[in-house]
Amino acid sequence: MGLKIVKREGKSFKDRIYLPAILSGMMITLGHFLRNLRDTSNIKTMNYPEEQPQDITARYRGVHRLTKREDESVRCVACFMCATACPAECIFIEAEERNDGVDEKMPKVFTIDLLECVFCGACVEACPCDAIRMDTGIFTFVAQKREDFLLTKDKLLSFEAKKEDA
Amino acid sequence: MANITVDGKTLEVKEGALLIEELLTNNINIPHFCYHPALGKDGNCRMCMVEIEGQKRPQIACDTPIKNGMIIRTKGANIDRVKRSILELELINHPIDCPICDQAGECQLQNYYMDVGLYESRLSTPKVHGQKHVDLGANVVLDQERCVLCTRCVRFTKNITKTDELGVFARADHSVISTFPGQPLKDPYAMNVVDLCPVGALTSKDFRFHKRVWFLQTEEAICNRCARGCSLYVDHHKEKYKDEMIYRYRPRFNDKVNGYFICDTGRLSYTYENENRNFHPMIRGKESEYEYAEGKLLRLVKRNIGKTLFVISSDLSLEEMVRIKALATMYDAQISAYEPNRFDEHFGDDFLKCNDLSSNARALPLVGIEDHYEGFALGIDKAELIVFIGRSDSGLLKDFSCTTKSIAIVYGYQPEVNEGLELLLPITSHTGRAGTFINCDGIVQFSQCAISHNSEHKKLLELLAMLIGDTLFTCSDVWNEIVCKIECFKELKFDELPKNSQKICL
Repeated sequence: MGLKIVKREGKSFKDRIYLPAILSGMMITLGHFLRNLRDTSNIKTMNYPEEQPQDITARYRGVHRLTKREDESVRCVACFMCATACPAECIFIEAEERNDGVDEKMPKVFTIDLLECVFCGACVEACPCDAIRMDTGIFTFVAQKREDFLLTKDKLLSFEAKKEDA
Repeated sequence: MANITVDGKTLEVKEGALLIEELLTNNINIPHFCYHPALGKDGNCRMCMVEIEGQKRPQIACDTPIKNGMIIRTKGANIDRVKRSILELELINHPIDCPICDQAGECQLQNYYMDVGLYESRLSTPKVHGQKHVDLGANVVLDQERCVLCTRCVRFTKNITKTDELGVFARADHSVISTFPGQPLKDPYAMNVVDLCPVGALTSKDFRFHKRVWFLQTEEAICNRCARGCSLYVDHHKEKYKDEMIYRYRPRFNDKVNGYFICDTGRLSYTYENENRNFHPMIRGKESEYEYAEGKLLRLVKRNIGKTLFVISSDLSLEEMVRIKALATMYDAQISAYEPNRFDEHFGDDFLKCNDLSSNARALPLVGIEDHYEGFALGIDKAELIVFIGRSDSGLLKDFSCTTKSIAIVYGYQPEVNEGLELLLPITSHTGRAGTFINCDGIVQFSQCAISHNSEHKKLLELLAMLIGDTLFTCSDVWNEIVCKIECFKELKFDELPKNSQKICL
């Protein structure tokens, strides 16, 4: 069994008065400060919310939206596949008969509770009709009351897909 | 008896019986659409193909009588290929609208496709279209495109109800199920075609779009609509943040009682369980805490020893009747099960429905409770406290001078009138508690379904245990302590009742 003798640091007079170490640390901070002052574009943080992130890609899972058919009516047929797949059980659907000849069934109520949602995207994967997507690019959703985080069918239909910046 | 070999295993079966019957009884999976044990073979869907050694081609199991020494193969690449081809033919004009189809989740087409199908469509011509959501009447909706023309529904109206409303019309690809012009489905058993339909062609208007079937949980129960006491499945589900809801009743096979079917009235009686269940205990018209109201009942009964009349419903279970009898003996009270509206001459028929609307009146004489008018009238004269248990028809008392008497109602459903009541105490409804019922032919059945709701309502047996002051809270307690000592129940075993209903002599 070999023993390794570890040399204890910090015993010297220079180490024990602390000041040289503190000064060298402040020099590093000062160096960064001067460098960032000369070239602000290099700073890693941003002035959110005045400045918005530019790296939200098309595949980013943002707030959900319900897609529409060509005639602007709801594409969802209330098959409950999303609600079944949802691990957080945050999708609340009530189905009703659809009488406009386009289809037989549609959702009367379609509510997603964003406070319960874990943004896993299982609903999008499960949808057989491509009726729900998470491509709005909305990465933050702000509201004053808990009730406002319940996204209703009308709200979900009003969201649009995020425009790709050219 | 005959010995046959199925997939290498030897089975002892009945000679001459249909092959599919014996295979299904031995839990061997045979895909089939047109065969149904209640309707027999038809041989039109060709789905139940099996290989029989010595036969050149695969044969349909539903129209093959069993011979001794048959060697049968139900699995293997060869037979799967045959099944896949037949399934492909069945599905040629199918709209594949499973997302909007109520049958999805309990659809045989879906199941068989996942078992042996899984092919790419080879159809290059447009599909033949039929009518969708056709209202056939009697709560049945038809989708002609989803139909596989197994004719189970047609044979049901022809052989079982003998009303012949449904038929197959037009030829070849254009064949569809429909009713005759101006003659909608209207027999009182029509909704059974929804259960019979193996695919989503016939769906129930009552259940349509209310719930996807994979969410449903199933309990076994007994229908309490009439004296037949048909065996049921109760399909219920508790949605997140909501209370339990019952979505439908389905017939449960019971060869001693109802076979494979139930009547539409019984099937739709589940709505009553949902609608009138939530109400609060009331003391003299004022809402009360449940525990306080319970105590109030105990105080009322104690204060009126020797001057109490229990007016009980004949829909109560055997266990509850036995316990009320014990309660009455303890407090020296009278019991009457007089019900002027027990019989409805227009309800019964010669199939399942009975004129006697009481689900358990046969138990009354066995327990020793009288149901004639004289006893009821005499009891009222002597009583100071009248407790209605399991019923709310306090209107019966208006022919008597009851102004000085206290009236209490202990019931599972919201009563229409609750004025002039001393106490209204809710208990769990029919599907909220288990119990034994004796039907019109003396068949003893156990209803297991005890769905617990958000409400604090107690089961009647628990309430009675509190009133009596002992610990017989469950049906098995009551059976072991009391019921098994009654002469005609001595032979029965409580543990076997749920699986196997038994006949007693009335």
